[in-house]
Amino acid sequence: MTARDPSIAAALGRRRRRIDQVSRVLASSATFIALALLAWILFTLLRLGIPGLSLNVFTTITKSPGSDGGLANAIVGSLIQTALGTAIGTPIGLLAGTYLAEYAAGSTFGNIVRFVSDILLSAPSILIGLFIFSILVAPFGGFSGIAGAAALAVIVIPIVVRTTEDMLSLVPVSLREAAIALGSPRWKTTLLVCFRAARQGILTGILLAVARIAGETAPLLFTSLGNSDYSGVGSAMASLPVTIYQYAASAFDDWVQLAWTGALLITLGVLTLNILARLIVRRR
Amino acid sequence: MPAFAEQAVASTQSHNVPARSATMAGVPVRVAIRNLDFYYGTNRALKSISLDLPEKRVTGMIGPSGCGKSTLLRVLNRMYSLYPGQRAEGEVAMDGENILAPDADLNSLRSRVGMVFQKPTPFPMSVYDNIAFGVRLHERLGRAEMDTRVEWALTRAALWGEVRDRLTSPAAGLSGGQQQRLCIARTIAVRPEVILLDEPTSALDPISTLKIEELIDELKRDFTIAIVTHNMQQAARCADQVAFFYLGELIEVAPAAQIFTAPKQKKTQEYITGRFG
Repeated sequence: MTARDPSIAAALGRRRRRIDQVSRVLASSATFIALALLAWILFTLLRLGIPGLSLNVFTTITKSPGSDGGLANAIVGSLIQTALGTAIGTPIGLLAGTYLAEYAAGSTFGNIVRFVSDILLSAPSILIGLFIFSILVAPFGGFSGIAGAAALAVIVIPIVVRTTEDMLSLVPVSLREAAIALGSPRWKTTLLVCFRAARQGILTGILLAVARIAGETAPLLFTSLGNSDYSGVGSAMASLPVTIYQYAASAFDDWVQLAWTGALLITLGVLTLNILARLIVRRR
Repeated sequence: MPAFAEQAVASTQSHNVPARSATMAGVPVRVAIRNLDFYYGTNRALKSISLDLPEKRVTGMIGPSGCGKSTLLRVLNRMYSLYPGQRAEGEVAMDGENILAPDADLNSLRSRVGMVFQKPTPFPMSVYDNIAFGVRLHERLGRAEMDTRVEWALTRAALWGEVRDRLTSPAAGLSGGQQQRLCIARTIAVRPEVILLDEPTSALDPISTLKIEELIDELKRDFTIAIVTHNMQQAARCADQVAFFYLGELIEVAPAAQIFTAPKQKKTQEYITGRFG
């Protein structure tokens, strides 16, 4: 029998309570700082962005300073390039993620693909812009919305690869075996059972990828460049982030105002996508 | 090929003279397992197993954990072929072919040998689509025919009354016992010849277990059944013949009544009286 000294136990208890209090204060203040910064950003955006909100912003194209311009062409350009980028990047990401999860388990080639995709995930987006510039802009003699969308697609791919692989890996082996035990070939099992089981997670990943590229500026600078009017995807194309970048640094008050309003619009759009993604996950 | 294996193959080929089960007198053999060895990598998990599954009878497989009974089930529908490093040697004869042959059509084999797992595995789709999924893999049915098949399968699995009003709701919303009966319905909807049950009630409450056991009794009118169970009462209640496995070997196979009252092997007796396992 070992005798227990009550005073040691009490001292230990005090010590643990103290450590608990200290860590609680540290964690809470860190949380507070993070949230306060976010609130500050949102508040500034609302304070400076809302005064510029008017129907004009959505209906009028960008104009020279002092002539009551809007952001219509930038908004449309952003929507088109984001949609195109998602449309190009998502299928590639889905297929590659499926390959990694279903066919490449443990193979060296699969590990290499996964590694490269993860590097791409953290690659500086300006680098991706330069890359697309060198293969799609320089050789074909011009900036274009297509090139912008391609740069955004390169950002989408690794995000979708990662979420697709992760979500498919979460599908229990027993579910796969149950389908195969019914005589289902591998591809039908993946398509009809695994994808269905993982669809919410995969959809969330795609939405987050859309949210990410909607606000990207750097990849568009050397690819779609910007345009002061509506344009097709074959020529230089306006976008919200690039317009904000140009306007915010300008010397004209009405341009600066439009930049804030544009920033507010992007933020609200991204926020909506994130909330949508949350709702999809929660519906489970 | 050993002589008796040849005989098993030959006799299942000519349906006029089916092989007769050694343990169940006068009952034709549906699946004949001969000299089966199974390896996980270099680990020999089954050692020279020879066992007949008599037609439209229930074969219970008992034995302590790791004795190879679930492994044997996974040989009978070639489930192990999914995993590199697992391989079977020997012969399993069914419908006049060796299902272990490298060129065996696995999807067609699995439509003839269905399997129900330990934990219910409803697909993430409606009750109706869960049943129709397997059928669509092998047959093209019109809407009305499919409806009939789904109703038939659910009725045979004693589930129709409980789900007839919620065929379009997600199967995940059913209770555990209902989900397991759904999995049984899904398996029989494909109209297999053999049904493999791998501890089908170990995740269920006693009432659901009872329902499944009654169901097994009913299903053996049409299907040849092999059930792995840890529950000896269950084996006694459900099975016509019982096979006792120990450390990868088939120690004894006999009619249920006989193995639980007068086992021939000492090991069997020790296991069923609870001295180990």
